[in-house]
Amino acid sequence: MSSVNVYSWQYKLREFWSVFRRDRAAIVGLVILAVIVFIAVFADYIAPYNPFARVGRPYEPPSPKHLLGTNDIGQDIFSELIYGARASLFIGFVAAVTATTLGTLVGVSAGYYGRVVDEILMRITDIWLSIPSLLFSIFLAAVIIRTGRLPMYYSVILAIALTSWPPVARLTRSATLSLKERPYIEATLALGASSRRIIFRHILPNIAPIILVEIVVRTGNAMLTEATLSFLGLGDPTVKSWGTILNFAMVKNAPILGLWWWFLPPGLMIAVTVMSVMMVGRGLEIYFNPRLRRY
Amino acid sequence: MKAFLVRRIYTSFITFIVVIAIVFLLARMTGDPLAELANDPRISPATIAALKAAFGLDRPLHEQFVNYVVNLFRGDLGYSLHYKAPVFDIIMQKLPYTLALLIPSITLSNYLAYTIGIEIGWRRGTRLDSVFMSVSMFIRSTPYFWLAIIFLFVFSVQLRLTPIFGAVTPGKSFSLTWDWISDYLWHYILPFFVMTFRGFLSELIYVRNVVVDVLGEDFVTTAVAKGLPEKYVKRKYVARNAMLPIVTVLGMRYAFIIDGAIQTETVFSYPGTGRLVYEAIFNRDFWLLQGAVVILTMSVIVVNFIIDLLYAYLDPRVRYR
Repeated sequence: MSSVNVYSWQYKLREFWSVFRRDRAAIVGLVILAVIVFIAVFADYIAPYNPFARVGRPYEPPSPKHLLGTNDIGQDIFSELIYGARASLFIGFVAAVTATTLGTLVGVSAGYYGRVVDEILMRITDIWLSIPSLLFSIFLAAVIIRTGRLPMYYSVILAIALTSWPPVARLTRSATLSLKERPYIEATLALGASSRRIIFRHILPNIAPIILVEIVVRTGNAMLTEATLSFLGLGDPTVKSWGTILNFAMVKNAPILGLWWWFLPPGLMIAVTVMSVMMVGRGLEIYFNPRLRRY
Repeated sequence: MKAFLVRRIYTSFITFIVVIAIVFLLARMTGDPLAELANDPRISPATIAALKAAFGLDRPLHEQFVNYVVNLFRGDLGYSLHYKAPVFDIIMQKLPYTLALLIPSITLSNYLAYTIGIEIGWRRGTRLDSVFMSVSMFIRSTPYFWLAIIFLFVFSVQLRLTPIFGAVTPGKSFSLTWDWISDYLWHYILPFFVMTFRGFLSELIYVRNVVVDVLGEDFVTTAVAKGLPEKYVKRKYVARNAMLPIVTVLGMRYAFIIDGAIQTETVFSYPGTGRLVYEAIFNRDFWLLQGAVVILTMSVIVVNFIIDLLYAYLDPRVRYR
C-alpha cells in the first residue's frame, strides 16, 4: 500500500468530506445555502425585473407576470426577493466576520496575557452581555446614524458586529487558556519565542476550527439581527434586503390588508437561509469535535 | 451569605456604572445634545448658550458624567422632543404594560420548557425528541417579529379571533372593572402567546441538552444500576441536577425576552416600553431611546442580581466561594 501524507490538504479535505457527508442535515443545509448563494451572485440574470423599477400597478396580486405580485409602488416583489438574498447574506457575513475577529482579539488577549488583562477584558465582556443585544444594537445603530459619518448600510453592519462579539470572546478565551497549559507551548516559550510568534504560530491555528464555526453561526444570527434592525426602520431604505422589504410591508399594513405574498416570502427566505447556515455550522462543529459524533 | 451579598451588590453597582458610562459616551459621540434645537431658526444662539449653561454642557466631560449619574438617580433621563414630556415619566407610564407581558411569559415558558425538556431529554434519540428539536430549530431560525406578524395575520386578520392592535379598545368606556379586564385580556392573549411560544422553544433545546449531559453522569448510571424506579431517577437525580445550569441562563433569557418584547409590541402596536423603542426610532427621538436603554438594562441588572441570590440559595457552594 502506498503511503498517504496525512498532512496534505487533499487528505484533510477528503477526511473532512467523509465525516461531513454522513451528516444528512449538514448536507441539506449546504445544498440550500449553495442555491441561495448562487441566487445572490447571479441575481442580475435570475430576477425577471429590475427590483428598483416600477414595472406594474401598485398592489397587484400574484400572477404569471408578477409571481409574487407588486408592492405599494409597483415594484416586482419576486425580483426584490432575489436581490434581497445579496444584501442579507453580505451584511450577515461581513458583520459575522467582524464580530468574530473582534471577539477572537479580546478572547485570545485575555486568555494569553491573563491576570489584570484577563480580569478587565472579561469584566467588560460580561457587562456587555448584560445589555439586551437587540436593544444595544438598536442604540448603536441610532448612535452611528446620528453621528452621520457612515452610510446607513455600514451602520447596520457595525451595530451587529459590536454587539455579537462577547460569546466569541468567551469561547476563544477558554480555548486559549487550555492551549497555554500544553507542554509544547511551554517548550516554545523556553526556547525564547516571542508572544507574537506563539499567538500567531501556535494558538490561532489551533483555535481556527472554533473561529470557523463561530463565523458560520454568527452569520445566521447576524442575518436575523439585520432583518430586525431593518424592520424597525434602522436599515438602509435604498438597499433591498429581506428585512427592508418586511419593513415596507409592515409600514404599508400588508398583514392587515391580507397581502400575504408581500410579507410571507421574505421571512421564509430568512428562516430557510438561517436554518441552512445553522445546519452547516452544526456539521462543522461535529467534524471538529469528534466527541459529538454518533457512529 | 452576608459577604456574598455585599460582593454581589458591589459588582451589580459597578456593572450599572459601566453601562451608564457606555451609554453616556455613545450618546455624547453623536455630537451636540442640543443639535435639534440649534438647527431651529426660531431659537437664537443666546438661548442655546443659556440652555447649555443650564444643563451644564459647557463643563468638562467627567463633570457632565457625574451630573448625568446624579440626575439619573433622581429619575431625570432628559426630555423627549417628540412627546414634549420628561423621558422618565413616559417610560414609567408604559413600563407596567411591558412587565405584565414579560413576567407571566417568562414564568410560563420556563416552566413548560423545564417540564417538557426533561421528558424529551430523557427520551433522547426518539422520534418525539427529533420532532421537537427540528420544530424548535426552524422556529428559532425565523425572525422573531416575522413570527409575530404570522400570528397577527392568522389569528387577528384571517380568523378575526383577536384584535389587531392596542392593549384595550380605543375610545370604549367601561362601566365595570370586569369589562376593562376582559377587554385587556382579549388584547393581551396573542402577544403573550407569541412571546411564550418563542421563549419556550428556545429554552427547550437548552434544557434538553442539559438533561442529556446530566444523563451521562456516573451518578445516574449508578442510580439506574442499583434498580431505582425510573420515575425516581428522573425526578430526584436528573431534574434536580439540571436545575442549576437552567437557573444560570435565566438572566440571559430575561435580556432575550426584552428583545422579544420590542418586536412583539411593535407588531401588535402594544403600548409598552418595547413599542416606545420603535416609536423613538421612527420619530428620531434619540433621548427617549437612550432612556429606554438605561431603564431596560437596569432591569436586567436587577433580575441578574435576584437570580444570583436564587442560585446561592440553590447551590451552597456559591455562597462560600
